[in-house]
Formats: sequence, structure tokens, C-alpha cells
Amino acid sequence: MIKRGDVKGCLAGRILRIDLSNKKIWTEETKSYAKKTLGGRGINSLIMINEIEPKVKWYDPENLLCFGAGSLVGTITPGACRVDISTINVFSGGKGSANVGGFWGPELKYAGYDNLIIVGKSKNPIYLYINDDKVEIRDASFIWGKNTFETEDILRQEIGDDDIKIALIGPAGENKVRGSAIIIDTAKAAGGSGVGCVMGDKKLKAIVVRGHKKIEVAEPEKFMKVVEKCYQKCKDEPNTRMMRKAPFNLYSNPEWEGWNTNIVIKNGQDDQWGREKRIRLMNPVTGIPSMQKGVRACYSCPIGCMPFMEINKGKYKGDKGEGFWINTIMGHACRFDISDPEAVVESWLLTNRLGLDGDYVAAGLSWIFELYEKGIITKEDTNGLELDWGNSEVLIKMIKKLAYREGIGDLLADGMVEAAKKIGRKSEYYLIQVKGQPSIEPFRIPKGWALAVSTSPVAGRHLRGATMGSNRYGPKPRPGNFGVTDYRNQAKGVVWQGKTKELEDNLGICNYVGTWSGANFLTITDFVELINAGMGLHLTEEELMDHYAVIGRNLEKAFNALHTDMSREDDIPPKRFREEGVKSGPYKGFKIDENKYNEMLDEFYELWGWDKKTGMQTRTCLEKLGLKDIAEKLAKQDKLDDN
Amino acid sequence: MKIVRNGNLCYACKTCQLACSFHYTKTFWPERSSITVSRNPQDGTIKWHMDATCDKCMGEEGLLCVKYCTYGALQILNNNANEQEVKEYD
Repeated sequence: MIKRGDVKGCLAGRILRIDLSNKKIWTEETKSYAKKTLGGRGINSLIMINEIEPKVKWYDPENLLCFGAGSLVGTITPGACRVDISTINVFSGGKGSANVGGFWGPELKYAGYDNLIIVGKSKNPIYLYINDDKVEIRDASFIWGKNTFETEDILRQEIGDDDIKIALIGPAGENKVRGSAIIIDTAKAAGGSGVGCVMGDKKLKAIVVRGHKKIEVAEPEKFMKVVEKCYQKCKDEPNTRMMRKAPFNLYSNPEWEGWNTNIVIKNGQDDQWGREKRIRLMNPVTGIPSMQKGVRACYSCPIGCMPFMEINKGKYKGDKGEGFWINTIMGHACRFDISDPEAVVESWLLTNRLGLDGDYVAAGLSWIFELYEKGIITKEDTNGLELDWGNSEVLIKMIKKLAYREGIGDLLADGMVEAAKKIGRKSEYYLIQVKGQPSIEPFRIPKGWALAVSTSPVAGRHLRGATMGSNRYGPKPRPGNFGVTDYRNQAKGVVWQGKTKELEDNLGICNYVGTWSGANFLTITDFVELINAGMGLHLTEEELMDHYAVIGRNLEKAFNALHTDMSREDDIPPKRFREEGVKSGPYKGFKIDENKYNEMLDEFYELWGWDKKTGMQTRTCLEKLGLKDIAEKLAKQDKLDDN
Repeated sequence: MKIVRNGNLCYACKTCQLACSFHYTKTFWPERSSITVSRNPQDGTIKWHMDATCDKCMGEEGLLCVKYCTYGALQILNNNANEQEVKEYD
């Protein structure tokens, strides 16, 4: 039994609840939820599993849209600015979750709320205005249909306060395009799981927040001593210099190994891109790096990794915005074989303006490009567009069609799995998806990536445990001893990374400042010290890693089991990557070996305490975590291994 | 002693605003800070302002805003610094 004490600091103290169907607003204390988890996503997951009946679908009014700022958000903890957005996943039907940084989360805390839970649906477009204790549901007909940039401008003028922070959707979310994002500060996208689609379905255009309150910590002087140590570490770490140039610049070196291990070309036809294309795209003088005008940081971040971009030539000259990321290179360039730098930046800006998840766009549309190449669809299906690899203008037209559901965009907007059923003709083989969500991730070469993406409870994304080898970056090796392409020992690293990400999303610490990059930034030791001094708890590292880092993942897995028919089969990489090898480059011939992958998966389940054969959660594991009630729910549906 | 900001080095993380509020309140309360930072993510501009309430972190070991600016954007100039030196920073 963990004797951790009661929370005495860091939390704002209340959860804001809003029922859009009945126009009701109320609050409750965070305390009772914070007894079981540490905050942020943990609280969202707990509320979802307790309150959403298994029969509820994402489009039902009973579905919840949950925003959770982590428990350390609003303090000066390095990188503590993150918000988890959880709801039913529009792709898998199970748990959906997306995570975003910026300034909105801290503002929610300063307004006095740790989490914001929205239920019901509005009949007409509305937005929420939260100014401390003043919470209003307001008409949004004047901003419905506007893109995210326009909406920000109009709301700032309407409200007349430059310090408001806004989370909003674009036309894609309004049109219930499945891969819609919730955009924060016009730049940062909570992209996965279709969270923007759910927000649009609730007719909720924006959530405006302004807070004037304070966040207290349990032991201020002691807390600041820990914080000071953490800032100094981040300042001294040599990798900080690389991060501050914005990490996408690593790709401006055509020899950088990321080009060999983590890139997928033409929707998965190869994992190797031509050297001359790399150079054209990432040339420091004429390519994407030349458009970087500066770098920005999220709230209380000592590292700073977010580039501000402005297109400097060509037909898109003058378009600009914040937050260009590595995924755009992997997704919008390589997946379409596009090496035109201006078009790649423009396509990314467009996804932010229209409120689309860039990964969904990249994985879904590159699939359509391949179907066109294979002759499975023709010009008649594409409204006359020639979806040829490398054709950037067509990509930009297709992004608009998707967001506005025009022509073929309407077919794709309901999700690629649905579209594949309608198209037929073996089109589903070429669709790279995991648990229903299109995925841009590499599988064939980095095996830790393949395992983490395939087993992610929120379907096909890498942040729940992907690794690049135990000693890949930085001075602190991961548990186990393995290289990027090894199957052996890989599960140890993936589970460890999944656990630390759970903690980071509970605390609201960016995983770049945490354990992701492997650089010597914040460690588990720092997390414990921050929690104990800030929240006034008495936890050990073991309690943190064996209990609090595990409970959230189990809540999500149980939610998936109760709401879907997911099984071991759904934790296996897409068929294409098991059948077709890499065609060129140093990893030519690499593909997923099913036997070796399954051995890795066995070990993964065992390490989490789940049944090795079926992947089902066990009674022992859940009861140890104090989740007896969840075990009973699962047992009733025959979804529990009774050991 | 003057505290000045080099706009080229500032990442607009607002840590200085937060550290300043800790000096006054022993809590994290951006509304009670001598510094305000705002930024426009659409055009990339950053506004930074320190008002006359700054007490140069009286009673603290060093200036908290400068200490927590890991980007080196905040600098201390002595009272004799001329206007040109100050301008070079902002």
C-alpha cells in the first residue's frame, strides 16, 4: 500500500463540467480523482472509463470531450505546459487521446481548473468563454466556417483581450472530417484520434480561456531548489543547442541516419529517399531551413524547439506560421515524393489553417495517390486530378477537398477504412493503418517503433513508447541493451518509454524536456522530487514507476477492451510491412519477421503484467493497482484473464 | 542596474514573468509580475515589458528573471550603461 499523503499543491483544485445539450455548467473538486492518478491524462482516463457506457459511440451526445492540464502545469517546472485531450477515438472506437503544448493549458490552470469535461451536443454553433469563475456558452455563428487563423483574429477583436488563449477547430472539424485536429495558438495541433472531429460534432468551435489566479506549491523553497537544478541541467546539456535550432534541421544533413531509419516513401513502397531529393528539400540556402525565421518556446520551456516559418519565394511567398515539425518532412514530403520546399511548408500551414491532423493527411492522401498509380482509382474518381507522385499542387488541392468534403474529399473524410470498403479492389492492402487510424510511422527498420506504434492504446502513433535503441541518444541508456533494428530486448525499452510518457502526460511535462530525446534533461528522479516538493506527496521512484506510470495505461487498455473487439491481432504491424521488404538503401530487404515480432510482443505483454498469449489484462495486475471495479467490468464482458 | 532583453535571443517562453511572480508571492501567479510577455504566433512578433514595480529581486540571491532565462536573453547592465548599449539589446 502506497502511503503518499494528500495533494497539497500544484493543482488548481477544480474540474469544470459543461453539458452542451442542457446548457448546464458546474464544477467539482479535483481531489477525489487525484487520489488515484497524478493528474492530466490520468484524470481524463479515469472519468472516461467511469462515465462512458460501452455502447456509446463517438458521435453520441454521451461521449465526453476531456481536456486535462497536467498537475505541474502553471508552475515553473521546465516544459510543464501540456494538455491531454481525450475522447472516444473516431477511428478505433476505443480510447482517443492527443497531447498539445503551448499556452492554453497553463491559462486553464490560472482560471482555476485542472480539467474541463464536456458532455452533450449543441444544436447550433457555440464557443465557450472561460474567464476565471465566469463561464459562458456563447453563439459562434459569426466564426463558423472560418479557418483557425481568421477565428483567432475575430475572437481577439470580439473579446478585446490580447491575453486570451484559444483552443479551436477549423473547417475540417466543423465538417466532421475524421482526422481533424484541435489547434492551439494557431500553431500547435492536438492531432491524433480525431479529437477535432468530436469537437465539431458537438458544434463547439472554440474554447477561449483567460485566468488571473495563482498556482501554489506545497513547499515553495524546496520546490524552487529542484526547479533550479532542472533548469541548470537543461542549460548545460549539449543537445539543447541542437534542439534550439529546431530538430527538423537534423535532416539538412543528407547523411543523417534518420534519413535511413525513419522515413517512409510513397505510402510504404520503400524506406529510402534519393540523396538529390534530400538535398533539394533541405538545402540550407534554398530549402526548408532557409524559411526558418526564428524559434519559439512553449510556456516555461528552457529548451525551445518550435520554428517560426515564412515562405520566402514562389507562389506561396509571405505565408507564415509557427510550429513546423519533423513529421511534415516524413509525411508531406517523403510520402508523396515531393521535394519542393515551398509546397511542403505551404501544405503544413494549410493543415493548421483548416484544422487537420498532418499525419492523417499524409497517411490517408498518400494511400489515394498509390491507388491512382496502381489504377485502382482513375481520373474519373478524382474529379480530374492527376494524383502523380511528386505533384505538390495536386496535394494542396486534395487537402482542401478533404477539409471541405468536396468530390473525392467527401469519400475520404469519413475515414480511410470506410473509403477502402467502398473502393474495394484490394485497396485495403495499401492502406497503412493501425486500429483504424492511418499511420505515417516507419515499421520495417526501427523495431521499437514498430512495437510501440502497433500497440499504442490510441491507435498507430509513436509517442506511447517508440525507441531508437537503448543507447541511441544522450548519456542515460534505456533499460535493456539493443540497437535500432533489434527485436531482442526491445520490449523493455518500449515499456519503459510508455511508462515515462504516462507520467509526463499526467504531470503535463513535454516529453522532449522529459525522457523522449534521451538527452540529459528531466529524469524520473527529477519527477519524484518535483512531485514531492510541489504536490506535497511522499513518493519513491519505485512507487512512481510501478504504480502511477502503469495505472493510466491500464485504464486506457480496459477502455479499449470494453468498447471494442480489439485483440492481439490489432497489435501487429500492417500486412504490407510484413510482406514487402525495403527496396533500396542500407536496410534493403528489411521487413517485419512475424515470428520475431510475436516473441517481442509476448515479452511486451508480460512486462506490463498482461496475459502473454491473448494480451488481455489480468485480475492480478488490475487488483494490484486498486482497479478491482474495472476488473469486474472486464470479467462481465469476458475480457479479463482471471489470473 | 538595468535589466534589458535581447529580442534576438528571446524565445517568448514567459519563464521570466513566472519567476518574477514567485519573487513577490512565493506562488506562480503571472498576474503579479513586473514582467509581461506576449507573442503573436501568426506574425511571429514578441512583446516584452518590464514595469516600474520591479524591485530588482530584493532579498533574493540574484535576479530570478535573469537566472531562469536559459536563453541568455535577459542581461544586467550597470547604471552607467548608455542608451546605445541598452538599444543594442532590444
